[in-house]
Amino acid sequence: MEGNMILLLPLVLPILAGVVVLAGKVFRENRKYLTGLSVAVLVLELVLTFQALVSGGSLTMIRLTDQLTLELHIDQVSRLFAALTAAVWLLVGIYSVSYMSHEEEEHRFFGYYLIVAGVLMGLNFSANLITLYVFYELMTLTSLPLVLHERSREAVRAGLKYLFYSVAGAFLALFGIFFLAGVSENLTFTAGGVLSDSALAGKEGLLLTSAFCMIVGFGTKAGMFPLHGWLPTAHPVAPASASAVLSGLITKAGVLAIIRVVYYVIGPDRLRGTWMQNVWILLTLLTVFMGSMLAYKEPVMKKRLAYSTVSQVSYVLFGLSLLNPTAFAGALSHVVFHSVIKHALFLTAGAIIVTTGWTRVEQMRGLGQVMPKTLACYTVAALALVGIPPLSGFVSKWYLASGALSSGTGVWAWVGPAVLLVSALLTAGYLLPLTIQGFFPGHDFKGEEIEKRGLKGKEPSWWMLAPIGVLAAAALLLGCFPGSLISMLQSIAASVL
Amino acid sequence: MNFVQNFPFFSIILAMFSGIVSSVLDGRKARNLSLAMIAVTTALSAGTLLFCLGSGESYTFMMGHFPAPWGNEIRAGILEGVTAIFFGIIMFLAVLGGLDHTAEDVEEKKLNLFYIMIDLMLSSLLALVYTNDLFTAYVFVEINTIAGCGLIMIRQKGRSMSAAIRYMIMSQLGSGLFLIGLSILYDVTGHLLMSPARESVELLVAAGSYRIPMLVIMAVIGVGLAIKSGLYPFHYWIPDTYGYATPTASAVLSGLVSKGYIFLLIKIFYRVLGYDNLVSSQMVNVLYVFGITGMVMGSIHAIHETDTRRMTAYSSVAQIGYIYMGMGLGTSYGMVAAVFHIFTHSATKALLFISAVGLYEVSGDKKDYISLRGAGYRNPLAGIGFTVGALSMVGFPMLSGFISKLLFATSALESPHKMLPTIIVLAVSTTLNAVYFLRLVITLYSRRRPEDAPIPETRARSSWQLRLAILCFIGVNLVLGLASQPIVQAIRDGLAMFG
Repeated sequence: MEGNMILLLPLVLPILAGVVVLAGKVFRENRKYLTGLSVAVLVLELVLTFQALVSGGSLTMIRLTDQLTLELHIDQVSRLFAALTAAVWLLVGIYSVSYMSHEEEEHRFFGYYLIVAGVLMGLNFSANLITLYVFYELMTLTSLPLVLHERSREAVRAGLKYLFYSVAGAFLALFGIFFLAGVSENLTFTAGGVLSDSALAGKEGLLLTSAFCMIVGFGTKAGMFPLHGWLPTAHPVAPASASAVLSGLITKAGVLAIIRVVYYVIGPDRLRGTWMQNVWILLTLLTVFMGSMLAYKEPVMKKRLAYSTVSQVSYVLFGLSLLNPTAFAGALSHVVFHSVIKHALFLTAGAIIVTTGWTRVEQMRGLGQVMPKTLACYTVAALALVGIPPLSGFVSKWYLASGALSSGTGVWAWVGPAVLLVSALLTAGYLLPLTIQGFFPGHDFKGEEIEKRGLKGKEPSWWMLAPIGVLAAAALLLGCFPGSLISMLQSIAASVL
Repeated sequence: MNFVQNFPFFSIILAMFSGIVSSVLDGRKARNLSLAMIAVTTALSAGTLLFCLGSGESYTFMMGHFPAPWGNEIRAGILEGVTAIFFGIIMFLAVLGGLDHTAEDVEEKKLNLFYIMIDLMLSSLLALVYTNDLFTAYVFVEINTIAGCGLIMIRQKGRSMSAAIRYMIMSQLGSGLFLIGLSILYDVTGHLLMSPARESVELLVAAGSYRIPMLVIMAVIGVGLAIKSGLYPFHYWIPDTYGYATPTASAVLSGLVSKGYIFLLIKIFYRVLGYDNLVSSQMVNVLYVFGITGMVMGSIHAIHETDTRRMTAYSSVAQIGYIYMGMGLGTSYGMVAAVFHIFTHSATKALLFISAVGLYEVSGDKKDYISLRGAGYRNPLAGIGFTVGALSMVGFPMLSGFISKLLFATSALESPHKMLPTIIVLAVSTTLNAVYFLRLVITLYSRRRPEDAPIPETRARSSWQLRLAILCFIGVNLVLGLASQPIVQAIRDGLAMFG
């Protein structure tokens, strides 16, 4: 243990609190203590995270072998991901206070919810590939109880699927780590890569293969084709607040791992123009298109949002695969925007389920009469995801498209933006019907069910509405004033490319 | 001669005499004697290890006053010391954890017999670790077999009788082959002590004479010990034996007995036949192929099992495959990985067997998936223990299994022809491990369904010994996973001393 101990606090605090919540009998019996402690810890977590981000530095936790150490550090990428995680985790935590009162065994949800927060912080702070892998595996395990929460037959099956895809993906990635450990001094993240040319001589083919394995392997968490199958099964069975963080932040852990591997260990220059890059671009574009199509055809709202995640996270991966600074900045900004937007959408879906019990989109006709404020927030977020200026999605897609056009990747330079445009249309097609049918149900709509059940004007409680509102506002404001964020991302891009 | 140098001899004799004394004691006293003896021998082994680390070299200990090339010798070095300590710890915890179940499963009048078998088992394991003499090795291999049979048979229930007979037949086949190998070796070299035999073997290989007998020796000794350690496809005795014995016996048999034979085989490879000769004669490739086949097939069998005890036993087949795969890589890195995996597997498999007992206790002593549903809530500590063991087997970071896999994979990168198959089989085997172990872990933590049969009234909580043993096993696993560096270094130094 040597270095800046402040980095340890955002990891240890929520994990300890989570264990206390799981073990303490008082939290099982008394809801006030449970939610009070959870929200307090999440607020404190936000403060501690920012303190750690400001103080910076690094911390060596333990030495596994001479070459392999568990080490934390703070750089620009960890700042971006950690700040996002801490802020969003708090908002969803506040939402859960009200939402989870409708579910059983809340203490288990909050316990693991807190633990995952600590583990994700560890992932964001990781200073080398081994540390990243350790936290990555821990994240799979600790987020599993969130998927399993309902403990129904369906949930168990989804949990198993989640687990097997994750384990298979992680082992694919592990193969790459074993290879990279052999051709570098250590696996510490350094902008531009750490591999040594002399050790690599004659092993270029193997390098590309292992890079490909790692991208497919870590891409599992990001829902990238061909290992995306678990995502639409696992996300919707969890409680809405868990689906939100699974979709909005845990998929981003896969993105973070890929950023670290490609830009901080291997180095983008070794991959540019190879078959690996071309296959990667192809996979991301396929995923973008396929995810949108599946979402368009899906009638169940939470599943539709999960398919949308498959598609949208691959926007980010597409930006990364171009190995171009503009596209890189676009990809990272889409990490932030998609996370904010997808949380807003999933939380809305949860609010609808809790208030009305409706799960299918066609049931939601006339929703505007039930919860106009929530639906307005939903509409803002949906428009942002479609990419209507001046909302945030527009900014990231602009950078992605202009990066693609100037990337010099041959045919992909124009196929990419075309796919993004088609997918944006599909996004409008699967998100906006809820708004249209909700606010303008048409003349023939009498709203008998709404009258009969007394649902008119029945907004969800403020605990739920406020986080949705904040997220929707963020989706709007980040699009209007993206300047400082984009300039930070461009400085990251300049350092790695 | 330093007094400490007597310790290996003392520990073997102490274990044997405890067995003899136990024959006139009642069960309770025999049990206490056995536990005390295991603790003392472990301490003696620690003394030996410290001495070897201090002097930086191994030593041979002459039994009686017949100098080499006659007589009977013991040899102690770093690797022997580490292994003996490790075996002692696992043995102690396995006996401790299964204490009350042993008392239940075994007739009261025969309880002391059980502990005699444990004592003899430890003495034979220590002798296999320390011996520098092939014939002594053979004698203790037989003692080990008999003790093993006794441990299985003493629970006179279910299929334990037929399991013991099967174990006996397979083991005798193995020892028979081993004996044939020794006879031919004695015939061509004229020696039974390891060091002079080694010199003769080198001369024979250099002269190019007796090439076919040498091949036969390698093959017969290798296969003989492979049968006894349960390498695929010689594994038929494993599931019944581990599946129907009393918990202590299962843990000892799967965790230690097969490892004792593997350790002996490694010792013979290095100290008698010469590892380079094995590599050049392609024998290692045979072991390698058996090893990687076992890694996959063992896991596939395990997936088909619904009885969790047998599933864990089949997983041993896969793990033994890992060890032989490492030995078959033909590099010193591979051997280090194999030896480390011996430790990993002993610690983890014993943990799994012992903590599974805690889960069966709260499920009406049933061992199938459906009865175990929700058992992780009924016995939290056993659930955690089983989860840790399962994660370690799958190769979860910070646990011992991860370090094993890391060592295997990095050593595979050193041998160009075997790299790809090794990595692929490691990947497949890991995924298969995950399928059956994590499926069971999730079952342990899923809700019981209304249609499930009610759980019969069983004991309220596990005995403190079982809980202590589970905690200690988890600790051993974490130590191997987090502080592997000194252990790996000791293995490396110890293997260098073998050479």
